[in-house]
Amino acid sequence: MVDLTIDGKPMRVPNGTTVFEAAGMGGIHIPTLCHLQNQTPVGVCRLCVVDTGARVLSASCVRAVEPGMKVVTHSDKILHARKTLLELLMSDHPSPCARQEQSGDCELEGLAKAAGIAEARFAKRSIARGEDDSSLAIAVDHDACILCDRCIRGCDEVKDNFVLGRMGKGYSAGIAFDLNAPMGASTCISCGECMVSCPTGALTNKGPAGTAICAGPGTEIFEAEELLQIPVFRGVSGTFLELNRGAIVKRRFRKGEVICREGEFGSTAFYMVEGRAKVSLSAPIAHVKTQGGAKGFFKRLTSTLVGREEDRRGEETRDRTIPIDASVDLSYGNPVAELGPGDLFGEMTCMNFYPRSATVVAESDIVAYEMLRNVLDIMLKNKAFRAQLDETYRRRALENHLRGVPMFADLPPEFIGHLKERVELQGFAPGQVIVQQGDTADSFYLVRIGFVKVLENYPGGEMVLAYLSRGDYFGEIGLLGGGDRTATCTALDHVELVRIAGDDFRDMVAKFPGVRAGLEAVAAERRAANQQRLQRVDSVPIDQFLSQGLMEAQSLLVLDLQNCTRCDACVNACAEAHDGVTRLVRDGLRFEGYLVATSCRQCRDPLCMVGCPVGSIRRRNSLEVIIEDWCIGCGLCARNCPYGNINLHPFEVLSDDPQNPGRKKAVIKQKATSCDLCTHLKEPSCVYACPHDAAHRVDPKSFFAEMLGGSGAK
Amino acid sequence: MIFDDLRAIQLRYGFLPTAELEGLSQRTHTPLYQLHSVASFYPHFHLAPPAKAEIRVCADMSCHLNGACELRMELQRRFAGSRPEDVQIRDVSCLGRCERAPAISINDQILTEVSAASAEQMARRALRGEEVDQPHPEQARIACKADPYGDGDDQKYGVVRKLVESRAWDDVLAQLKAAELRGMGGAGFPTSMKWDLVRKQPDPVKYVVCNADESEPGTIKDRFIMTHLPHLVIEGMMIAGVVTGAKRGILYIRHEYAREEEILGGEIGRCYRLGLLGKRILSSEFDFDLEVFVSPGGYICGEESALLEAIEGHRAEPRNKPPFPGQIGLWQKPTVINNVETFINVPQILARGVDWFVAQGVNGSRGLKFVGVSGHVERPGVFELPMGTPIREVIFKHAGGIRGGRSLKAFAPSGPSSGYLPASLIDVPLDFKALADAGSMLGSGAIVVCDDTTCMLDMALNAVRFYRNESCGKCVPCRLGSQKMTDLLVRWTEGAVLEPQYRADLALLDDLALAMSQTSICGLGQIAPAPIQSVLKHFRAEVDAHVLHGQCPSGVCFTARSCAGEAQRVGIRP
Repeated sequence: MVDLTIDGKPMRVPNGTTVFEAAGMGGIHIPTLCHLQNQTPVGVCRLCVVDTGARVLSASCVRAVEPGMKVVTHSDKILHARKTLLELLMSDHPSPCARQEQSGDCELEGLAKAAGIAEARFAKRSIARGEDDSSLAIAVDHDACILCDRCIRGCDEVKDNFVLGRMGKGYSAGIAFDLNAPMGASTCISCGECMVSCPTGALTNKGPAGTAICAGPGTEIFEAEELLQIPVFRGVSGTFLELNRGAIVKRRFRKGEVICREGEFGSTAFYMVEGRAKVSLSAPIAHVKTQGGAKGFFKRLTSTLVGREEDRRGEETRDRTIPIDASVDLSYGNPVAELGPGDLFGEMTCMNFYPRSATVVAESDIVAYEMLRNVLDIMLKNKAFRAQLDETYRRRALENHLRGVPMFADLPPEFIGHLKERVELQGFAPGQVIVQQGDTADSFYLVRIGFVKVLENYPGGEMVLAYLSRGDYFGEIGLLGGGDRTATCTALDHVELVRIAGDDFRDMVAKFPGVRAGLEAVAAERRAANQQRLQRVDSVPIDQFLSQGLMEAQSLLVLDLQNCTRCDACVNACAEAHDGVTRLVRDGLRFEGYLVATSCRQCRDPLCMVGCPVGSIRRRNSLEVIIEDWCIGCGLCARNCPYGNINLHPFEVLSDDPQNPGRKKAVIKQKATSCDLCTHLKEPSCVYACPHDAAHRVDPKSFFAEMLGGSGAK
Repeated sequence: MIFDDLRAIQLRYGFLPTAELEGLSQRTHTPLYQLHSVASFYPHFHLAPPAKAEIRVCADMSCHLNGACELRMELQRRFAGSRPEDVQIRDVSCLGRCERAPAISINDQILTEVSAASAEQMARRALRGEEVDQPHPEQARIACKADPYGDGDDQKYGVVRKLVESRAWDDVLAQLKAAELRGMGGAGFPTSMKWDLVRKQPDPVKYVVCNADESEPGTIKDRFIMTHLPHLVIEGMMIAGVVTGAKRGILYIRHEYAREEEILGGEIGRCYRLGLLGKRILSSEFDFDLEVFVSPGGYICGEESALLEAIEGHRAEPRNKPPFPGQIGLWQKPTVINNVETFINVPQILARGVDWFVAQGVNGSRGLKFVGVSGHVERPGVFELPMGTPIREVIFKHAGGIRGGRSLKAFAPSGPSSGYLPASLIDVPLDFKALADAGSMLGSGAIVVCDDTTCMLDMALNAVRFYRNESCGKCVPCRLGSQKMTDLLVRWTEGAVLEPQYRADLALLDDLALAMSQTSICGLGQIAPAPIQSVLKHFRAEVDAHVLHGQCPSGVCFTARSCAGEAQRVGIRP
């Protein structure tokens, strides 16, 4: 404890207390603009200066108490200096500023009025610093900015967003987003923290118009107080909710009404408070199969939809569940589940802007809160809400996820129950590193929400091994092997994970030899595959191929341009082979005398896999892309493929007719397809069809190495 | 290091392209805003492609007294038809060549004693893509009294050689205390106390930093010391290292001192080869590594805590004190930070003893002082003089008196921060206390001399404009106060106002001076009101003539020689 006197009043306060805090404990109020509770004090506005007997006054917010200190907080000199500071600030302040006009509580104008400043005596700013109207949510008036640093600390310390900073120097200094981008074009996610932190009208809310969810029938905008009555909203900043009126609405749905539809784009999440809803997939659970008809080489092929029961493909997932964007998973055999009060769905759509993963229909009359990302982000950081979500997840989906790991499938129920209690649920922000290659492995992870990028460092660079999505797992190789992480795993977007501590993991492995054997087999397989990849990367001929993306490919269709007569027989054959929808375009990158045709390259960084809302696109161990049966045809993978090699194949299927309950009607549903190398034929039909011997399917490594006479290969 | 990365990009592209900054941000996991906040803070970095000939005319005290304003305007006239992507002419803060004024820089090459004709010729060379250069005036090694070692290289570093054997740390501190050695950078803090504070810190990691960022207009003595006595600077830092337990030293030098950087780099390399630096120096158990850190620019970097922020790769914004660098310094570790001249005093005192040191001063002062003299004198330059030498002797005996036979009107004992004293105070000695008693300060020893053609209001405006340009912008009183004070003085040089307005202005100036000097975070904002306050104190009639009658008795204001015009240059968002 430290003894000191403040304004003649003896005080005893804990070591490390600031003079500002100590004064507050003694009921002495010191004015400030830059200091905000729960932010690191910076001492830049200088209004909180006090006299400690030193040569100059000290900013009390950053001055630690010292034994025997005699502090004066209000003397003529201090009041005089404070008044001059306010006058300086007011001389450049656009009074009344937006904040003062909106809510009459601009902190600067309030303090200036209290100090009796009618008009500042100093010259006004001669050149305006300007306004920034680019953000949909927040209006920026640089002239009202007093550089108190509160927004910056809000963005960095409170939110970990790191978007805002000071720029320039001296009188021309200001705040800037990223590299001085307009706020709306910056990496700002409109969380609103800067605006809530701002003492003046420099950062103000643009009002519900900008952020409101389209008001429709059954929509109610309501007061912040009402929201704060709901248990899960307890602890959320009332000011924030007030400022974000319209970014969260209460909605009522009638029985039978569709709340959201699979494949649609959206930006909101729903939190149910009353009623029941059915969540299901309306897309047929099947994949595209191409079959031959009549005899002969140019036989007419047909593509049909078949499920895995009729047509089992190699290395197909045997998951019993389909991961969706809700607190439940759907089963493969009967993809329908129920949602009820306390369930949140649409989290991935809202946070990461992925298409809706399933269709939700009201089973009874429903009351739900629909919210935008800024509100959900705040909610996910709120302890009460978080606790409820975690509890729901543990109860409804965790067991399925644990069982989804093949080696865990046969664990006795008691042990799964034991694990369920022990696991930790963790959240990661986009770009955050979850495990670093080379670090000591201490846990095993299951992906609950979002995408995790698995990247391995090689002597020659980095390579993406996989994108893991809901239900996938990682971390077992490090735990089983030498104890070090063999790859770096990074959150690609908003990611939620289930963490099993290393000790629990080892405990399980020790108790259940079957698990150990299974894990070791997988780990050995992965290590071998990695080794193979390493060799591949090691022998990359030249940078040029890398930059062209050719070496990304595992298998290429190349056309020898000297022989090729541009007859398009290859394209026609591909279309013939695939129900009239070609998966090949006779155009692409040229290299020497070869054209690398656009067809699936089985890339090293398979961007197509990022964002699949139901996790139905993935890679076989042979690295070929496979689209699982529960593809909902949203088309995101086709858009994500940088080479345009994934196409959507339309099919007519019978589906429930909403107009005539109980009857079916034909609707068009789409399924994604990519080049399957015509695995059902002896040779890819494009290669077979070429009358000039110009089309070849090649392994780029050996092909280019040979073409370059081995000169480029290391 | 962020500055190394930014410099590498700038070296390649001539500026910092957005795409490169985005790549850097991803590679180094540095938020974009952090890159922009430092890149936009330091004058060294360009966020847009520079012109083919970037001409910067030094606008501060000594150059201003030597016609920098007319020079800049003449150059603007000569290049009036040029495209902005070819020629850009701007003023720049003191380039540290005060004895060879006026100085300019073209594409970062510094040229001194230029005329409009020679500057134009160089700029045209730059436009043709040719190298811009000027033969460096021959500077033969000058023997200094301060050097305890003879010519032979083998005698150098004798003090530190003995010290690592004797390990008489307490004796070092006792001798510095007995010698009453004080900081030579401006603040004059007792050196032994600073070192003792760092020595007592239990932290195993400590640093020694040498502040060679002299940027105060008129200050050129550290450049002289680094040229002629580099071994004493290094030895002083080594002694600080072994005494306080620091294993790493950083010499922070302004980027305009490329030649001195080279000299020091050469000497440091020699020390490494001789085993004087590095692991187990002189076969003792002490390690001491020393490196040179080149400043990305700005007067504020000379403020010790801002300098530490710059080394850490941040904006050079001064820290709130306490804690002082001796407790929490570079990278949060206890840090000895001293000026170049302070460091060279240490081996002098230890080699020759306290009595010798005391005997070097005159009129009751102790030691030697390197003093830069510039402005209206016949022989501007740096002089090694006994502390306590009367300023009359410095100006008239050593610097050759007032140029062109004119008479002395005023002098600044240490650049703008010391304010201006009238000719009547010419007998004040170079001494901490005597100058403080005269309402000024010894500061860093940068005497700037004004003859009778000088307008003192114009000089006050020149000084406050400098502070305005160099304010980091962190705290309100300095960021806004320096601009509002500039606005006020500009108005005073623009024509007569009525007396009640003048009285109100004077009251406002008093209020502003109190707020700035009492509430600014660092010395820059605290001292910024000093020049105009000293002019109002000693040259009040001259100010009255401007404000009440619209007349400049020296015939400077209301003409091209005034800096009122350039003072208007207000920073705006780029």
